Amino acid sequence: MIRKTVVASAILLVLCLVGARPAAAQAWFTTGTGLGVSKAKVAVPDMAVRSAAAQPLEKTFHDVLWSDLEYSGILDLVSTSFYPKEIPSQPSELRAPDWSSAPASAYMVAYGNLNTDASGLAASGYLSDVSNPSAPIALQKIYRGAVTEADARRLAHQFADDIISRLGGGASGIAETQIAYVSARGRDKEIWAMDYDGANAHQLTHLGSVSLTPRWSPDASRIAFTCFVTNRDGVLSPQICIYSTVSSRLIHFPHFRGTNGSPAWSPDGQQLAFMSSQNGDPEIYTVDADGTHLHRITFAAGVNTSPAWNPKTGKQIVFVSDRGGDGAPVLYQMNSDGTDVTRINLPDMGYVIDPAWSPNGQLIAFSWRRPTGNYDIYVMDVVSHQLVELTRDEGRNERPSWAPDGRHLVFESTRTGSREIWSMLADGSQPRQLTFKGENESPNWSPR
Amino acid sequence: MSSVAAQQPIPSLKGPLTYSVLLHAVLGGLLIYSGFAHRGESWGGPGGAAEVGLVGSVPAIPLPRPDVVTPSRVVDNSKGLYKTEPPPEIKTPPPDAVPIQKFHLKPPPSPKHKSEALEHPTLPPKNVHKSKLLENPTPPPQNAVPYGGGGAPNIPYSSFAMGAGQTTAGGLSFGSSGASGDFSSRFSWYVQAVQRRVSSNWLQSTVDPSVSVAPRVVVTFDILRNGTATNIQVTRSSGNYSVDSSAVRAIRNSSPFDSLPAGYSGSSVSVDFWFDFHR
Repeated sequence: MIRKTVVASAILLVLCLVGARPAAAQAWFTTGTGLGVSKAKVAVPDMAVRSAAAQPLEKTFHDVLWSDLEYSGILDLVSTSFYPKEIPSQPSELRAPDWSSAPASAYMVAYGNLNTDASGLAASGYLSDVSNPSAPIALQKIYRGAVTEADARRLAHQFADDIISRLGGGASGIAETQIAYVSARGRDKEIWAMDYDGANAHQLTHLGSVSLTPRWSPDASRIAFTCFVTNRDGVLSPQICIYSTVSSRLIHFPHFRGTNGSPAWSPDGQQLAFMSSQNGDPEIYTVDADGTHLHRITFAAGVNTSPAWNPKTGKQIVFVSDRGGDGAPVLYQMNSDGTDVTRINLPDMGYVIDPAWSPNGQLIAFSWRRPTGNYDIYVMDVVSHQLVELTRDEGRNERPSWAPDGRHLVFESTRTGSREIWSMLADGSQPRQLTFKGENESPNWSPR
Repeated sequence: MSSVAAQQPIPSLKGPLTYSVLLHAVLGGLLIYSGFAHRGESWGGPGGAAEVGLVGSVPAIPLPRPDVVTPSRVVDNSKGLYKTEPPPEIKTPPPDAVPIQKFHLKPPPSPKHKSEALEHPTLPPKNVHKSKLLENPTPPPQNAVPYGGGGAPNIPYSSFAMGAGQTTAGGLSFGSSGASGDFSSRFSWYVQAVQRRVSSNWLQSTVDPSVSVAPRVVVTFDILRNGTATNIQVTRSSGNYSVDSSAVRAIRNSSPFDSLPAGYSGSSVSVDFWFDFHR
């Protein structure tokens, strides 16, 4: 009897020991939409400098980092006058209470140090959460480059992009993107490119004629634009040209009769939509990226131009046409094979031009001259057709182009007296002039 | 005949007279009293003319309903985006007493124009009092488009939920109990980043336009080590399919998230995300 009990209890004991594992409790958290969505307050002190060779680059690095974060639209930067005196160069030197309490009241701190070693410039960047007394590190990375101003800017852009990605939940930043535009120097108009903050402007094409409407391909390897070429009769005719940013040369693309221009890449990069008057009046055609399989997709009297693909689905195209009764150019939407053309009705008359579809497929930005005013940039929700006006009473504002994060727009404006490239957040705030010399127009933001 | 009539006694009128006087007095008093009690009212009592019930309001009769004019969405200028001007200062009206203008008779016209002067004599100008209507601010034109001059636009494209404050009610709450390690207090920046990303991808304009407010939807999903969102499920429905599916789509469009923080050792984290829809 006792033996049975002993055996039974022994078996039970063994089972208990085997069966008992610490409960692998999975971590979880709860959050939701609501008033809690606010911009993170980030402090960005100067970078500590650990070698004399890196000293002259610190100001450039910090200025570029500061400007990138300030312009991102998802953070608030804490003013430098509230910072504590000591500059932390690494996480062990960071004292969280100094930064999280008044007057700084920061939520995160982005800091680090610049050093030079055998391979060149090494920037160590850290992002720490100071609202938590143990200051956990959200990001720590070393960025390497040459000991030059240009590379100091590039490393700062990379650090800024990583910070924006961390605080934006994985959404990418735009600090390393470029803007292609048309610059008129003298009689010629050539395609130029610059960093998204206006730095590092350099000329791409040297055709000695007029080039217009540059458009980056979705993989950023090519730029399609309208070029004027002399055909065999010695007549200048507008055609589509494609410039390769990889080989810095023009790629072959067939020439068509009549006027050809205003190219637009499909989101998969396989097709181009463009305006061509090869069969009479300007209509919209689609063609493969190598110039084959030409299809006409609009069939209406009048001018049909400025196509823009839906970047999310690649199945709709919005374009400008004056086929309507009053002859003013307005926006129309159709499927990418030309079916189901519908007019986009706006609550007022006027000229509507330059449609640009946002990367999430939800908004269309365009330029509109209403009977009482000048050309201004408007943004419209595709589903509900609600409108917001972004510029007013500041010269002519035309040709908007979206940034790949969907939060910024670049456009051309005559508000300073000459035609220049400006960018702003997509709610109209923080307008920034990017070009200052010559006449610059027709900007297009690179997709990466 | 007259003797027959004379023999009958003439009935005394005193009784009936008394009753008559009393009755008239009572009626007259009632009239006067009711005149006082109901003075000022129009005939028929409150409500004026006799009311005739509208046939259309009788539920059993299926008549077409009158058109309901819905306000144009473009004109919606609440929430301060189209900045309404503050009411202008009400200036004190000029005093009623105006100096009497001298009436200058035009000099006698030359004989040529005599007839015209007689027909069109000059008169002193009239005093024009400001109309009360002019003191009201003019309403915006019918096709006004909201212009914020740099502020957050009042339009349900929530790309700017990342930066702008929202109008929906609710708050942020972190899971406080649960596993050891307490993810939300250790990695609050990650939680907020996830919230920002999903909120900015939640496109409220894709919800059925007839819905203006919906109860809270709660969606649960897991974020893997590399940031991929899996196992997306609606654990509490709002009751409306388009609101639920817009919430699920917001999470799908936000995937992949940022990879899980390096300091966290688990292989995935589970998220309860709520959406309060309010147009």
